[in-house]
Amino acid sequence: MNKVKVVLRNRCLNVIKNRYYATTKKKIPDDEDESLPIFQYPTSKASDRNMYSWGLAETGALGIHMPRGNRNRKQYRNNFSLCWYPMRSSFAERFDVEHIAAGYGFTVASIKTKEQYKVFGTGINTDSQIGYHAPRIGHPLELLLSPAPIFLPYKSLETKIIGIDAGRAHTAILTDNEGVFTLGNNAYGQCGRKINPNEEYRGSMVSYNIKKLGKEKITSVCCGQDHTLFITESGKVYACGWGADGQTGLGTFDNQAIPAQVKGDVTSEKIVKVASTVDCVLALNDKGELFGWGNSEYGQIPMKSGSQQVNMSYSLREFTRGLGKIIDIAAGGSFCLIVNEAGDAFVWGFGLLGLGPNVEHSKNPKQIPSPLFGRNEFNTEARVEKVACGIGHLAAITNDGHLYMWGRNRQGCLGLGSSKDQHFPLKVSIGGFVLKVICSVDHSVAICRPFT
Amino acid sequence: MVKFKTAASAYKTLNGLICVYKPPCVPVKQVLHIVKTNLCRDLNALPDRPLEQRVEIIGSTNEPMKVKVVPNYADDPRVCGPRYIIEDFKCTWASHLGLFTSGVLLIGVNEGTKLAYKIKSGQPTRAYKVHGQLGKATDTYFWNGKTVERATFKHVTREKIDKVVANMQAAHQKTMFEQSGLQMDLQSTYELASKGLIRPADNKLPVLYGIKCVYFDSPNFTLEIQSVNEYDKYLWTLVHDLGVQLKTAAYCTGVQCIRQAKFDVNLALLRKHWTLEHITDNMNTCQEILDENEQLIKPESALLTA
Repeated sequence: MNKVKVVLRNRCLNVIKNRYYATTKKKIPDDEDESLPIFQYPTSKASDRNMYSWGLAETGALGIHMPRGNRNRKQYRNNFSLCWYPMRSSFAERFDVEHIAAGYGFTVASIKTKEQYKVFGTGINTDSQIGYHAPRIGHPLELLLSPAPIFLPYKSLETKIIGIDAGRAHTAILTDNEGVFTLGNNAYGQCGRKINPNEEYRGSMVSYNIKKLGKEKITSVCCGQDHTLFITESGKVYACGWGADGQTGLGTFDNQAIPAQVKGDVTSEKIVKVASTVDCVLALNDKGELFGWGNSEYGQIPMKSGSQQVNMSYSLREFTRGLGKIIDIAAGGSFCLIVNEAGDAFVWGFGLLGLGPNVEHSKNPKQIPSPLFGRNEFNTEARVEKVACGIGHLAAITNDGHLYMWGRNRQGCLGLGSSKDQHFPLKVSIGGFVLKVICSVDHSVAICRPFT
Repeated sequence: MVKFKTAASAYKTLNGLICVYKPPCVPVKQVLHIVKTNLCRDLNALPDRPLEQRVEIIGSTNEPMKVKVVPNYADDPRVCGPRYIIEDFKCTWASHLGLFTSGVLLIGVNEGTKLAYKIKSGQPTRAYKVHGQLGKATDTYFWNGKTVERATFKHVTREKIDKVVANMQAAHQKTMFEQSGLQMDLQSTYELASKGLIRPADNKLPVLYGIKCVYFDSPNFTLEIQSVNEYDKYLWTLVHDLGVQLKTAAYCTGVQCIRQAKFDVNLALLRKHWTLEHITDNMNTCQEILDENEQLIKPESALLTA
């Protein structure tokens, strides 16, 4: 037995003597490779859309309902009051969401379907802006925590929803053949129908249909705080609603119940887009020129006379001279944001403009430095393509589908993971190609296309 | 090419930074060893200084003594060994490359070790070509590992890779602000951010400044990555992550460093050129680049320049 041990020890020594120092360059083949199964992960279709929302969740506007835990049930977060990061909505996974709009504390989304319920709403419903929902007869809900279908009297179920927008307490839904349906508060005529001072909006089942304006089809709709703007096929702009700051652009400061054509410089132009969040309105024509009317307290619509309420549309051609063709516009509470063809974003007005903590007020369009949107020596192609404004916060989408946000961070509506104000654009972490972002007063919603 | 007359004069010039091409599967330590041995070999082959003489005084002390000069055997290389041995050289790398990584490696020789240290602490950007393959995942994220998963990859297109990669890069740009240790609500932060890219404050966490897909031929692809603080295993995991995000599996097949600060792959000496003449030549070129770009050694601000 002893002898055997000695032999073994000697052999071990031999092995140690011939140690290898080199590393193998070739992989030692293993036969298990071929026997492994090949997985097929599910991939998304090109038409798939994801919806992300963040900000104040207490109103239910995010459409993400976290039920409180019972003893027997799984415990969810007890106080789901705000969401600092973009959160994927399960609603958009079940339906093909096409258009979204966000009002003050509520969100509306339209889906691709040929059935009766094409529009869903969630959030505050004090003025029936997202329809009549009453689990018990005579007790309509004033707050919806998860999306619920909105009933609209379509003539044909083939009708498609082509646009949607929401204001403070009203919603406008644009269809391809049946015009615009308006819901919600009509105290200033923002629904485009006659104002009735004694009307009760809570639990109201009224929806109003504006079929055509000036015998033309409506192609786009935009809601401000308490006014509504329509664009017709030939590029004419119609407005109705609150006019105290001139935001209807009708030459008066009165409320307008029936949509009327906006006066001033836009009458002779073909307008393709109007933007309004509160009481300042910007319009863009097909040549990429800018027009504006409404509130100008912070110099959003600079006038020679220095008037703070502009009640007729004026061309801002001189004001934006040298910026080139403008491709997208957004008007916030006290500032305006535009993008030109080169992909540079310009901002003017008052507030957290994205020009650093020292700049609070800018009279002229000032460029937000493009390195902040990811343009640097390693990536010279980055361009801003779309912009959006909330009341105090701003957003921009680049050609790579990246979302940048900055401004007042009310209830975490910037989605940057904190409730601190942001003085310059910072990327929001969203796992998808962002197609559209909607900013509201205290929440934001984005539609994305998945990468794969 | 400089021709040296004596070994001593050649040795005196060997102070500075050189840029070599590290082959894969050879550790950096061994590269240094090879460079040192080659330098010793070439120096020893050059004409040596004259041998020292030994003065010998012989004879008895009460008579006139004879003074003789005889060859000093203690100074003879045949007795005391070669003039230059590897212990005569100090060598260090400016940034480490992993065992399987190939590409540009900056080496500081003798006095140049200080330069290498300064470049290292200046956090230069490095550019890599990372090769990957779709359809398979391994336990080490690299080709040498054991296969753990296989998946289909037919749905992957160049556009999808581009989008995912752009998203990864933008996410890193956001971490760049968090890593820079700047306070977000200061004017100075805004001014720095609006000029361009910012270096991270520490040398631990990797930050990527640019990712681009430069080649795609399913299932093989190549990414070009510009980064700071990265290491080889991090780049492997990046390929794995890309695979997961593309709804398939991927593993890394090779990592090549193509640029370190301003020193790119054209400058790097191949293994066959690791000789005295080429190294001194390369040292001069590197010194010229360093003189042109002083910010490499003494970065003045957190602003990043390639």
